[in-house]
Amino acid sequence: MTLHEKLSSGKFVITAEIAPPRGTEWKKVIEEIEPLRGRVDAFNVTDCQRSMLRMSSIAMSKILLDSGFEPILQLTCRDRNRIALQSELLGAAALGIRNVCLMTGDFTTLGDVPQAKPVFDLDSVQLIKSVSDMNRGKLINGKDLDEPTSFTIGAVFNPFAGPKRLQVWKLEKKIRAGAVFIQTQPVYDVKTAREVAETIKDLGGKAIIGLLPIRSVRMANFMEKLNPGSVPTDLRRAVEKAENPAEYGWKYTIDLAKAISEFADGIHFMLVGKIEELADFITYLRNNHGRNE
Amino acid sequence: MVTVKLKPIEEILKYLKKEWNVGIVGCEIGSSRCKNGGLREAKKLAEVLALNGYTVAFISSPGGTCILERLKKNILRDIEEKCDVVVSLACGAGTQVLAENLDIPVITGVDTLFIGAETDSYTFKEYCIACGNCIISSTGGICPVARCPKSLLNGPCGGAINGRCEVDSSMPCIWYVIEKRMEELETIASLKLPQPPADHSKFIHPRELKVED
Ligand code: SF4
Ligand code: SF4
Repeated sequence: MTLHEKLSSGKFVITAEIAPPRGTEWKKVIEEIEPLRGRVDAFNVTDCQRSMLRMSSIAMSKILLDSGFEPILQLTCRDRNRIALQSELLGAAALGIRNVCLMTGDFTTLGDVPQAKPVFDLDSVQLIKSVSDMNRGKLINGKDLDEPTSFTIGAVFNPFAGPKRLQVWKLEKKIRAGAVFIQTQPVYDVKTAREVAETIKDLGGKAIIGLLPIRSVRMANFMEKLNPGSVPTDLRRAVEKAENPAEYGWKYTIDLAKAISEFADGIHFMLVGKIEELADFITYLRNNHGRNE
Repeated sequence: MVTVKLKPIEEILKYLKKEWNVGIVGCEIGSSRCKNGGLREAKKLAEVLALNGYTVAFISSPGGTCILERLKKNILRDIEEKCDVVVSLACGAGTQVLAENLDIPVITGVDTLFIGAETDSYTFKEYCIACGNCIISSTGGICPVARCPKSLLNGPCGGAINGRCEVDSSMPCIWYVIEKRMEELETIASLKLPQPPADHSKFIHPRELKVED
């Protein structure tokens, strides 16, 4: 079943995130995710995430397809104007890429090429709308496409960003503009996950909750600094006390994922890390979860 | 107003020859107000040049160096008579008007920065990038085009944390300011409406404004 089919038939989906290489050596990336074949429904392929220069997400998505994995092409507004975005998307469609996750993108100066010109011609809402229009056979200039595209459109949501009300309104705009599934920033407690899933579902989107296992005290502090209020004090204390913080963080994530699978439409693993264990966990989840097979 | 910042002296000296008579032209509108290129700075620069063995033959700081009519009336002839080179402390516009209307080389002594609002005394902030299609009547009179680094029109990005901007945490995320203002004005609900992409064809430089009588 494709991601699209799973989402539309109300099945629980599991996505994970991979980054294209800093270079051309794509084989290693594919080898790494091999244990997840048939377990993860689709892989987000990041678009120079955090503005760090890497291989094109379109090329890497095509490599995934050719290797028998389903990609979710991430595309940001940071580096391309509306002509480039639409042209790339047509190319992606022709290559057989069906899922996209569209976002504004981190700012250029946060990455490793701070001198680059930031583009931001469109924002996420406008890009999503323009891809919905492509699915209806129209380009952004109003001209007809020879054949409508058939992208399944995703978007992102950070529950820890503000102002709250404007963030939720923007989420609503994304869903109204045509975003079908929403992948979130990493969440570390059931209560937040439940609230976020409800917010997304109420607006008519499919809620795919982001998870990123904590591996160390340093990482816990980093995540809390990045998204204040995201790492519960109890979790941080437990990680501090743990003999093996990575082990603890992993178990915590698995428990959280189990709880989330009761109410969300999916989970999104943002760091593949312990691939074998993740593969085992997904098998477990599938065997114990009616909505996913 | 247009804000400028004096360049390091070494960068100015690179373009000067010791045998030249140097003219220094500031601007009493923008450059002077931001203390980086008015009469006072022109005089200071003259002192530094003299100390380094250069001859300064002319100093002036007109009220609007980008207004050709004023330059013609007041200083162009003087400069041509006395100088072999001009160092301009006016903004890029004023400096170019000088360059286009003098036969001698004109070099700039400043970096032109932005259209600045002086919200605290001598603190200038970029409030407008002259996008040619002003939308601030629908954002509570506060501009996300200039004051959000991504010029977002549909609300804040996911990096807006605790009121701060992801690009530079010393800056507020302007969407917090817009929210507060529109809340006070009771116009906040209009932010629910999706905004179409900006028309960048209004923002192609160089632009021109011709005023009819
Ligand atoms: S929208 Fe902003 S940048 Fe554009 S003209 Fe108005 S204040 Fe200036
Ligand atoms: S944090 Fe706010 S001001 Fe900064 S880029 Fe994001 S939306 Fe714009």
